[in-house]
Amino acid sequence: MSIEINHLTYIYNQDTAFEKKALDDVNLEIKKGQFVGLIGHTGSGKSTLIQHLNGIIAPTKGEILVDGENIHRNKAKLKEVRRRIGLAFQYPEYQLFEMTVYKDVAFGPTNMQLSKEEVHQNVVSALETVGIAPELYEKSPFELSGGQKRRVAIAGVLAMNPEVLILDEPTAGLDPKGRDEILQAIKRLHQERGITVILVSHSMEDVAKLVECIIVMHEGKVAMEGTPKEVFCHVKELEAMGLAAPQVSYVFAALKEKGFDVPLDVFTVEEARKVLLNMVRQVSV
Amino acid sequence: MKMVKAEGLTYEYIKMLETDHGTEEEKVSALKAVDLEIEKGEFVVVLGHNGSGKSTFAKHINALLEPTKGTLWIKGMDTQNAELVWDIRQTAGMVFQNPDNQLVATVVEEDIAFGPENMGVAPEEIRRRVDEALATVHMEQYATHTPSKLSGGQKQRIAIAGVLAMKPDCIVLDEPTAMLDPSGRKEVMETIERLNKDEGITIILITHYMDEAVRGDRVYVIDDGEIVMEGKPKEIFSQVERLQQYGLDVPQVTEVAHLLRKEGIDIPADILTVEEMVGALCQLKLTI
Repeated sequence: MSIEINHLTYIYNQDTAFEKKALDDVNLEIKKGQFVGLIGHTGSGKSTLIQHLNGIIAPTKGEILVDGENIHRNKAKLKEVRRRIGLAFQYPEYQLFEMTVYKDVAFGPTNMQLSKEEVHQNVVSALETVGIAPELYEKSPFELSGGQKRRVAIAGVLAMNPEVLILDEPTAGLDPKGRDEILQAIKRLHQERGITVILVSHSMEDVAKLVECIIVMHEGKVAMEGTPKEVFCHVKELEAMGLAAPQVSYVFAALKEKGFDVPLDVFTVEEARKVLLNMVRQVSV
Repeated sequence: MKMVKAEGLTYEYIKMLETDHGTEEEKVSALKAVDLEIEKGEFVVVLGHNGSGKSTFAKHINALLEPTKGTLWIKGMDTQNAELVWDIRQTAGMVFQNPDNQLVATVVEEDIAFGPENMGVAPEEIRRRVDEALATVHMEQYATHTPSKLSGGQKQRIAIAGVLAMKPDCIVLDEPTAMLDPSGRKEVMETIERLNKDEGITIILITHYMDEAVRGDRVYVIDDGEIVMEGKPKEIFSQVERLQQYGLDVPQVTEVAHLLRKEGIDIPADILTVEEMVGALCQLKLTI
């Protein structure tokens, strides 16, 4: 499934004193199977944008095409779109409500009127993907750790077999271990299921590790778009937008400024190790 | 007198477990005989994975929880002495993770006045304190705004100002930046450092962000209710593998330095910041 956004503008409280343009002529294309990172500081328009993708809010101007079709042209289609594009909100664990983990994940597919076997299959496969062991299926979701709860909530979205999964700040408030487990689960579901993933995050380190393409939002507009290498070498521009690059990017920017011949597109620990090792060894030979 | 002193601080609670044979009770020890001392004016960071006991510890400082065993003194006041609870809470203020859960009023300055009003402070003194607190967190121009229209970082600074208006000696912050974007985190961290350096307020910061932790004077690592590491940031973070065992991270540059050392490169193990990393690399180049 491909998503195309054409000249999307959204104005909150239009024609009132509180009028605010949240999105301003946004044009984007998200291809099938892509892993996209969406970054921007609070109020940059990222949440408004993802709410449009799922049809929760309708554009003031412009259109959203899913597989070439405008999702707001036909009300019946919109329901279909919401199933195909799953959205895991911020702090999704607040939305857990069932008596057991299994029932909670089964809620979505059950409401899709699938057969009992299909529901079971979807639930088990979703829980497997997010790394929740069968021993936990009959537990109350409220007995689990923060990271586990969040993975169960994400499984609830996955169990509806979406073709696109949007995750809004999936690691916020988790400790490093919980964060790594969630990121592993997301990586796995992208690889195994081949679905399109849109990851909204404040953590540049997380984004750097996972995504193929980054969209930077600023003041309701798309400010940058490209691979992590292309985006994270613009340390100064990112800072000016209230964002940051991964910590190692700053090391290379500073080395460059001091006159060293280093690449600027290094942003993960592993790459930094390789580049620096080469650099030091070359000199010592 | 120490700002915070714990001796054998233990906290146990009963957890109800639903099993096939009905409800069973299980005793959980969230804190196990913790001893520590925090001096006045110190900036102390507490690290630990979720469920390690660090928030339980924080809630003891504010007398929200009472020790099962052992004693905790805040500026010499025993937190188990019910008569001292209000003095303790005025001495040690608390800021929580979610900015939306701790602001109560519809106007910023009223929110900050809430604490001193409840302490029975005279109106003119409240006015003075509110203005001072707003100035300290650099939010003067928002005095008459509504908190719901502020950014996350601004809301946290208002929450900090609300604590400041009670004139505390010590502020405990439990993951104050977890829900903020990078610029919000920066604002809050700068505010915390200013309170410590300029106002001399003792800071106890609980965080998952290692780049924040390196800014403290001293770090405690809590694991399974016990203090497992204690020292200056440099002493703690140079032990990369041990921290990872406790489910914690190190800053990216520290990890890079650790990996380079493993390859036999002569670079200090206690690199914590970008500047230190760049300095060390430059020196390496010069000496070769």
